[in-house]
Amino acid sequence: MPNYEIMFIVNPNVAEEEIDKINGQIENIITSGGGKVEKIEKMGKRRLAYEVEKQREGYYVLFTTNANGDILKECERRLRVMDAIIKYITVRTDEEGRRLQKIKNYRQKRAARRGSGSRAGTGQSAEEAMQ
Amino acid sequence: MKSAKEKRPAGQKQYYRRKKVCKFCVERIDSINYKDVKLLSQFVPERAKIMPRRISGVCSPHQRQLNDAIKKARNIALLPFTTE
Repeated sequence: MPNYEIMFIVNPNVAEEEIDKINGQIENIITSGGGKVEKIEKMGKRRLAYEVEKQREGYYVLFTTNANGDILKECERRLRVMDAIIKYITVRTDEEGRRLQKIKNYRQKRAARRGSGSRAGTGQSAEEAMQ
Repeated sequence: MKSAKEKRPAGQKQYYRRKKVCKFCVERIDSINYKDVKLLSQFVPERAKIMPRRISGVCSPHQRQLNDAIKKARNIALLPFTTE
């Protein structure tokens, strides 16, 4: 199953317990649909870059999940309905993750072939020149 | 144009443009994530527009990733669309 990230902003005037309750609901949707919640990260209160629903601040929550599209669709529907949620975004991350893994493997292979140290030196000097 | 530049009389200061390098290639930043506001905000000047490649020197594959990341970040109010 693909990996998705769900990030949503809760109204800052909502109590902490209420946020936990929302998180519980979302988690419930995902797990009952056969998906997995890998991580729930409460990023805390942040200033919004622009006004959303008359709010200048928001409480950010980030879900990292392993679930299919149907579950995500249901999650999005629920998030849209909830009054406390100001904004949400879902991003697919597994393709990006695979790409990163490929780069990492390639780097490791190359480092093993030519020995470490020599490349790192040149990278450092170029970095300094830029500043 | 180039030859004219070389024909300049001696003593006059020669204008020399330093070659720009892609930050992501040099520092080996593989993932340009929409959550990394600190990194992304380096590429959005004060009017909150995306900095063009000809100014920032970012290479085209990275510019494309950067574009996507900035647009996602705007969507979730991490970065502004414009200044008020």
